[in-house]
Amino acid sequence: MFDLLSIVLKYVFVFIIYLFIFTIIRMIYLDIRSVDYGNLESGAYLKLLNRIDSLPYNLSDSYPVEGELTLGRQKENIIQIKDPYISKKHFRIIKDEEEFFLEDLGSSNGTYLNGERVLDVVRIGKGDIIKVGELEFIFIDGA
Amino acid sequence: MDSERKRIITILVALCMGFVLLIGYLSYFQMFKAQAVRDNAYNKRLWINEDNILRGSIVDRGGEVLVYSESRDGETQRIYRYDNLYSHVIGYSLKDYGKSGLERRYNSYLVNANENTAINELINLINPSGVGNNLSLTLDHGLQKKTRELMNGKKGSAIAINPKTGEILSMVSLPDFRIETLSENWTSVSENPDSPLLNRGTQGLYTPGSIFKILTAVGVIQEGVPEAIYQCTGSTVIDGYTIRDFDESGHGPLNLEQAFAVSCNTYFADQAVALGHDNLLRIAETLLFNQKIGFDTETNASVFPRESIGLTDLGASGIGQGRVLTTPLNMLMVVSAVANDGYMSMPYLVETVQSPGGMTISSHRSESRKVLEIGESQALKRMMREVVESGTGTNAGINGVKVAGKTGTAENASGNNHAWFVGFAPLEDPKVAVIVLLEEEGASGGRAAAPIAREIINFALNNITN
Amino acid sequence: MKERLNSKAPRKLLFLFEILSLSLIFLFSWEGIQTETYAIAVGLVLLIYFSNYMLGRISKGDNYVFLIVCMLVSIGIIMIYRISPDLGLKQLMWLALGIAMFFAAYFAIRYISFWDRLTPLYLVVSYGLFALTLIMGTRTHGAINWISIGGVSVQPAEITKIVLVFLLAAFYGGDEKYRRIKNAEILLMLVIYSFIGLLFLQRDLGAALIFFGIFAGLQYIYTQDRRLIWANLGLAAIGGIAGYILFDHVKVRVTTWLDPWPYINDKGYQITQSLFAISEGGFFGTGLGRGNPAFIPLSYNDFIFSAISEEMGIFTGIGIIMLFMLLVYRGFKIALRQDNQFFRILALGISMVFGIQSFIIIGGVLKVIPLTGLTLPFVSYGGSSVVTSFIALGILQGTSEKRGKAGIGNG
Repeated sequence: MFDLLSIVLKYVFVFIIYLFIFTIIRMIYLDIRSVDYGNLESGAYLKLLNRIDSLPYNLSDSYPVEGELTLGRQKENIIQIKDPYISKKHFRIIKDEEEFFLEDLGSSNGTYLNGERVLDVVRIGKGDIIKVGELEFIFIDGA
Repeated sequence: MDSERKRIITILVALCMGFVLLIGYLSYFQMFKAQAVRDNAYNKRLWINEDNILRGSIVDRGGEVLVYSESRDGETQRIYRYDNLYSHVIGYSLKDYGKSGLERRYNSYLVNANENTAINELINLINPSGVGNNLSLTLDHGLQKKTRELMNGKKGSAIAINPKTGEILSMVSLPDFRIETLSENWTSVSENPDSPLLNRGTQGLYTPGSIFKILTAVGVIQEGVPEAIYQCTGSTVIDGYTIRDFDESGHGPLNLEQAFAVSCNTYFADQAVALGHDNLLRIAETLLFNQKIGFDTETNASVFPRESIGLTDLGASGIGQGRVLTTPLNMLMVVSAVANDGYMSMPYLVETVQSPGGMTISSHRSESRKVLEIGESQALKRMMREVVESGTGTNAGINGVKVAGKTGTAENASGNNHAWFVGFAPLEDPKVAVIVLLEEEGASGGRAAAPIAREIINFALNNITN
Repeated sequence: MKERLNSKAPRKLLFLFEILSLSLIFLFSWEGIQTETYAIAVGLVLLIYFSNYMLGRISKGDNYVFLIVCMLVSIGIIMIYRISPDLGLKQLMWLALGIAMFFAAYFAIRYISFWDRLTPLYLVVSYGLFALTLIMGTRTHGAINWISIGGVSVQPAEITKIVLVFLLAAFYGGDEKYRRIKNAEILLMLVIYSFIGLLFLQRDLGAALIFFGIFAGLQYIYTQDRRLIWANLGLAAIGGIAGYILFDHVKVRVTTWLDPWPYINDKGYQITQSLFAISEGGFFGTGLGRGNPAFIPLSYNDFIFSAISEEMGIFTGIGIIMLFMLLVYRGFKIALRQDNQFFRILALGISMVFGIQSFIIIGGVLKVIPLTGLTLPFVSYGGSSVVTSFIALGILQGTSEKRGKAGIGNG
């Protein structure tokens, strides 16, 4: 009985180990691809500081800010996050005469800029960190 | 910054290549080398299998059981029914000292350790046989006994073969050892200066002496000068060194056939010099020198010097002295090819491997290669017949049977000559070829070895039918 | 499609592997099992599962390396338990301690900022550990590289290895004032050679090789004076030959590497037993509990790779090599993303330790290179090996998330 089980399982083990290696390689591959995409950005963009693979939802490594960038639970947002912690329309970043502004859209759990809650609209610059729930973005102005 | 990045990647690539090398080697090892490592006699895992499995038995060509295993009080025991009669062929199988002979080479069959595939594993699980496979040999128990009796008290080896098929009919090497008590006597047996553990027939290397003249004769025939008359004066000087005949009065004028019959040293030494090293080396290597003969037990390679040698050495090689060394099996194969019209049927011991249920799992595939032209083998046959009829080998003659052969008396470092006889019979349709070597016998091959060969041939012709 | 590809998938596979293999192992040693064993086994699974989970929450850094290491640890611990349940349980304790130290090291890197200014301390600690070994060392398996502190055996070279990485990182990537000393690089070489010489005296050839490997690698990347690389390689060759001529223990290693079979009963015993085991397994192995890994000396330690190959097949062996390759790849990737020079060198050094050490010991048991006694990081049994390996991993984890802090660039 033990022998039979052991013989069957040895194939299963090899299979699991290789599947494990395979999924990790795929994750790394996707990771690198999205990073390379990020490197191509030249203008202003939001860069995700969390590892995308550690998140239970589908996100890119970075998002360009062209005119307006919105984040929220609803489909209409450019960054859509299906997390009950995030409000339907959570925040937006707008560009006005070469300057960038972050506006909280009345979210219930708030938007934090460098650790401080954003109450209305604030100007943001290179290196600022925007936090929403467990997500952290860094704002980069490549121009 | 950029060159730093490049260098970091170089190091990364180097490390990864190291790992890829390991993966590559591991796969290579598993595919090409693992089997040989697994079968190493020191691998304790082989014994684990055996403790649970009754090792298969070994029978001779007539079905006579030579070795079998049985279970006594839960322990398996190997019963060697004829003990030292087969000590070199069958060999030993000891936990502490490993294995030899067929017990070693056919171990995985004997313990039924099949290849480790998924299907075999399941079969073994569902139906654990616990009994190994049996070997059926080409040996004839009667002839083996007879050969051992004839060789009793001597040191050396005698082998008989069917030249047409390559079946080994008997194989004896002396001194031998008792397998049943080998464990207790291991130190004294393994350190005995007479090396009883060595199978002299396949592993012993000896100066061939005059039996090597068969190879020199092949060269003379190939050169097309067998009829040329040579004047023998009893000695010849090659490069300042004198090679003498056994009988120093001189044989007078001789051609190849006559020189062969009286085993004239000066003739063959001068012919070897005339042939040159390259020719003689080529003939020797065609006839299995300088290579291990593929066989069912361990063999050693006979030696014919590869690098160019001086003329004196070359002349000495022509008469089987100098640096030439042969195993008895090698010279037997040469004569076997002569008997079989130039085709050498490679020697073997195991005819079939049978499962405990009697099903044949594997049977021998004979391998035969052409090593001599028909003209060469026919001339040699005639010359070898002459040796027994009226030359140095008359002691091998049998009434009513045309025996052919060649004697040899080889000088060696010990001061006592090796006595050789190698031959076959009957001339018209050879059924058996035999070699007898008496190590350091101190007597001539014609006197000491030829009579033993005669008895072996006689017994084989009268008792082995198929 | 992409939705499925978060770190949960491999985590689940890891979980599945552990459950299945542990059940099998329990079935194997059915009679000798006590209830606390189950508790500890459940502990293992939960420990690994939750530390992965926690790490994902705590650290925004790399989350592959810990996962890869968890797989290695799981394979190792199962094999050790199968060879000796006692050692398996002990290894579990070491693992728990190791993971605790992993987090400790991680936080130390994350919250302490003056690591790059401690060059003198690293020197003092290294020499101190060597002195300690020479004074208190005991000889095991031919090498004097263990000391006993309060009944616990420690291998100081394991710790010195990490200190060395800090030393090199601080030298090449930290405070410039040491690099400005006249002939600083030559002095550094002398220091490293003195380490290697001391390891030679302790007969710890494996550690000596690792020290040399890390130094040569980092020197290749960072030295200003490129001639020093050639000088270093030349001296290493001379040193190697001198070692071969002077020390019998080096000669033995080389002889048994070239052809161990004539010495099968004495000095070639270990390597030939290792080859027997590997050849026995075939591609899929004999199955857990169905082989004889106990025939190999030190099967749970230096030769664990052979034991795993026997029972789990060379496919698992290749899997382990690939896991190490991935680990090294990730480590280098972390280094390339790190903008802080000191932390980048730290990440490189740690990755090189893992890579070189696993290469040397796997290559050794396969007879690709001469055998030198080393543990296979994370897989082999051994307290100081497991704990220091996890400390090193914690450091690597810490270096993987610095890019928000120091000099923001794009990647």
